[in-house]
Amino acid sequence: MDNEILVNILWLAFAAMALTLLILYLKKNEKINSLQSAVINLKTTLEEMDEQAKLIVRTDIALNKTQEELDKKLTGLYALQRLSRAISTTLEEKHIFRKIELSHLEDLGFEKACAFLWNAESGEFIPYLYIGYMEDEIDYIIADLAEKRDFYLDLIGRQKTLSSISLQRELGSLEMSKAFHANSFVISPIMPKEGDKGFIFVGAGADMPLTEGDEEFIILLANQVSQALDNARLFEHTWMAQQNLERKVEERTQELSQALEEVKIISKRKTDFISAVSHELRTPLTSVKGYAAILIEEKLGALPPAVKERLEKINRHSDELVRMVNDLLDISRIEAGKTIMRLVPQDIQELSASVADLISIQCKEKEIELLTENPEALPKVMADRSQIERVLINLLGNAVKFTPRQGKIIIRISEEHGRVKVDIQDSGIGMPPEAIERIFDEFYRVDNEINQHVKGTGLGLSLVKHIVEAHQGRIWVTSTQGKGSTFSFTLPKIN
Amino acid sequence: MSIQAGLGISTDKDSLKAVREAALQARQRFDGNASPNVAIVFSSIEFAHLTMLKTISSMFGHIDVLGCSTTAVLCNQGVFRHAVAVLLLNMSPDTYYTTGSITDIKYKTAIKAGEEFGEKLLAGLKSARRDLGIIFSDGLIDKSSNLIYGMQERLGTSFPVVGALAMDNLRYSKTFVYYNQSVESDAACGLILGGGVNFGLGIRHGWKPLGKPRYITRASGNIAYEIDDIPAATVYEDYLDCDIKELRLELRRIGTFYPIGIYLQGEEEYLLRNITDIGEDGSLILQGNIPENSQIRLMIGTKETCFTAAEQAVHEAKEALSVKAGACPKIKFALVFDSISRYMLLGRDAEKEVEAVKRAVGPGVPVIGLYTYGEQGPLKSIDYHGKVYLHNQTISVLLVGE
Repeated sequence: MDNEILVNILWLAFAAMALTLLILYLKKNEKINSLQSAVINLKTTLEEMDEQAKLIVRTDIALNKTQEELDKKLTGLYALQRLSRAISTTLEEKHIFRKIELSHLEDLGFEKACAFLWNAESGEFIPYLYIGYMEDEIDYIIADLAEKRDFYLDLIGRQKTLSSISLQRELGSLEMSKAFHANSFVISPIMPKEGDKGFIFVGAGADMPLTEGDEEFIILLANQVSQALDNARLFEHTWMAQQNLERKVEERTQELSQALEEVKIISKRKTDFISAVSHELRTPLTSVKGYAAILIEEKLGALPPAVKERLEKINRHSDELVRMVNDLLDISRIEAGKTIMRLVPQDIQELSASVADLISIQCKEKEIELLTENPEALPKVMADRSQIERVLINLLGNAVKFTPRQGKIIIRISEEHGRVKVDIQDSGIGMPPEAIERIFDEFYRVDNEINQHVKGTGLGLSLVKHIVEAHQGRIWVTSTQGKGSTFSFTLPKIN
Repeated sequence: MSIQAGLGISTDKDSLKAVREAALQARQRFDGNASPNVAIVFSSIEFAHLTMLKTISSMFGHIDVLGCSTTAVLCNQGVFRHAVAVLLLNMSPDTYYTTGSITDIKYKTAIKAGEEFGEKLLAGLKSARRDLGIIFSDGLIDKSSNLIYGMQERLGTSFPVVGALAMDNLRYSKTFVYYNQSVESDAACGLILGGGVNFGLGIRHGWKPLGKPRYITRASGNIAYEIDDIPAATVYEDYLDCDIKELRLELRRIGTFYPIGIYLQGEEEYLLRNITDIGEDGSLILQGNIPENSQIRLMIGTKETCFTAAEQAVHEAKEALSVKAGACPKIKFALVFDSISRYMLLGRDAEKEVEAVKRAVGPGVPVIGLYTYGEQGPLKSIDYHGKVYLHNQTISVLLVGE
């Protein structure tokens, strides 16, 4: 009985264990299933991620290509801009091509370049540029150009740009590639308006294929070079013309200098001659005048009135001659620089007033109104008093001479542009325009009624001019015929 | 220990004038009568001839000259495609340094040449403590990873080396290495600094993984034959929706913009591998080695991630320098090796990356660098014990300070 109970208990325990194990197994199985499903999910996700990765890579590569293209274009544009700036500042033909550098080519996506201009005179293509080529390669290209001369001249003539893309289906592309040692290339004509024309060739290796827009870039470059060539040639032309002009100006200047020297020599001879003649004249004149005086005074016996009258004429004419000779001597001395101006500070108002005083008697005789217009304060001038007195006496004397009765003379002193200006204005007969130009010439006398009646040497104003100029001053006249004249002169003031 | 550094740059077309101008500018930055004992020279290939190096020697007498050709140099003044940049260094007598070079790498095989190169460099340094190696090598040698492996055989796997693969004008035809008075292709030159030089190094690329993880199921050296048991190129055909022919045509762009990223345990960034060619069997020929069973991802980079990576590289270098030289180290100069892939991706914005580097480095520090076909530098994580690898797409920034 006890055994039976024991067996039952054991069975029960076994059953319980089996049940527990079954439950555990089921639970484990459930976990395995869930893990397996998680792994499957994970794998699926991973595969999906991998598919997404493919999409990303494909998009990325497309984006990179676009970016590269953009970069290339931007870099190319910057290179063109740099080149354009460099080329446009060059005014010598050979230097234009030297501005094109390897770095510019690389930025434009090329690695070699050459340029030739056709010289019609020698009948050959002259190389102006080669980058990335050895000298023997250039020799080879020149030989090839000579052989296919007409093809390249036709290319220039038709202003046609060719490239390895546009020539892709033609045999010419291969030939050109071979001749210029480049897989991809652009060849564009250089067409200045005048002078030698030619072409530029740019090329690259197999790993640097051409892309859209490369042709346009090279056309731009070729145009830029053409423009620069035009500018350089124009400059050369202008420069040559200028050089010619400069040479002519120099020749003329030299001729004029020579002429001036001759004039100076002649002028000096004239001055010397006048000086010598005047001196020589003065001695006999003094004798003539002396003897005439002795005769007039009747020291040698009484004279008949007719003889005395003639002798007085001789005496008067001798005085005029002496004055003329003295004036001539003064002019020649000033011209020769022999007269020393004793320049000391002078009060020009006081000086002009004292001369006006002297002249006032003549004015009264002709009832001429003599006025002075001065500002209150005037600076002093550097002047030789006696010489400026001569100037004023001369000018005022002339004014009185040519002003009709009851006329008006104004002495006006003012300060102008750092100088003191003296105007002597009269209401006289004035002078014609042609006389204004010559009034200060030696022996010139205006042809008018007064001059026909009043004697004069024609040396007074010339002397005045010489004196004023010896003071570093300037003298001029303004005049209206029938209304009057104004003689003006300036003197340097003392600061 | 003290180092003085002066930087000069010239874009003069006359190579003689250019190098003179750059060297004189650099010399003017020195205090007093200190004369330079090392010159680091980077130039575009039109300057790559002996005259350039002889000019420097004639100007400064005994001076060690190292450098290489590049497509563009970068410095404080910006990025220049046709230029020569010179960094003159004056190292105090307690700073140990040695220089060396190796030629005929192809003939010797990269691994053997690397060993010989390592030996030469070690011989010059004798027993002095060595701190850092800087190397420049031909950018077109096959299996350039092997040059590093060879060097590691002699210098030790954890010895920090930074390097640049020389460039030409993007023609992939011939690159040049400058060493004293020789201009060589198929060569490498280097400088080892010792005696307690404080430096910090930062290497970043900024490329991000895309798509599902895959595995290299068959590879040898720098050739990946199969990815996930199918020909490796098929993966690219699938991603880009094109056939092998189209792939080959676009290889330059694809290989640069979408390289393979190798997952490395503990590293913050994937190790990138550029595709240089596609085999007839659909295999991918990579610029550096790729181990079998590596977990890989397709990588993608953007301008923004490039700028960020450049800043991060500088900050990383600054932090590393602070650890050695204290909280506020004085940076003497910054040497930047910038992948040409970044230059191609950034295009007109390349200058902005240099600006970012300059900003992060701080004012008044001479920054000189070049664009490279590949960069060598140590990995950071403990798992790799600072082992040097060939990188692609990275910007490596070396800061030397006090």
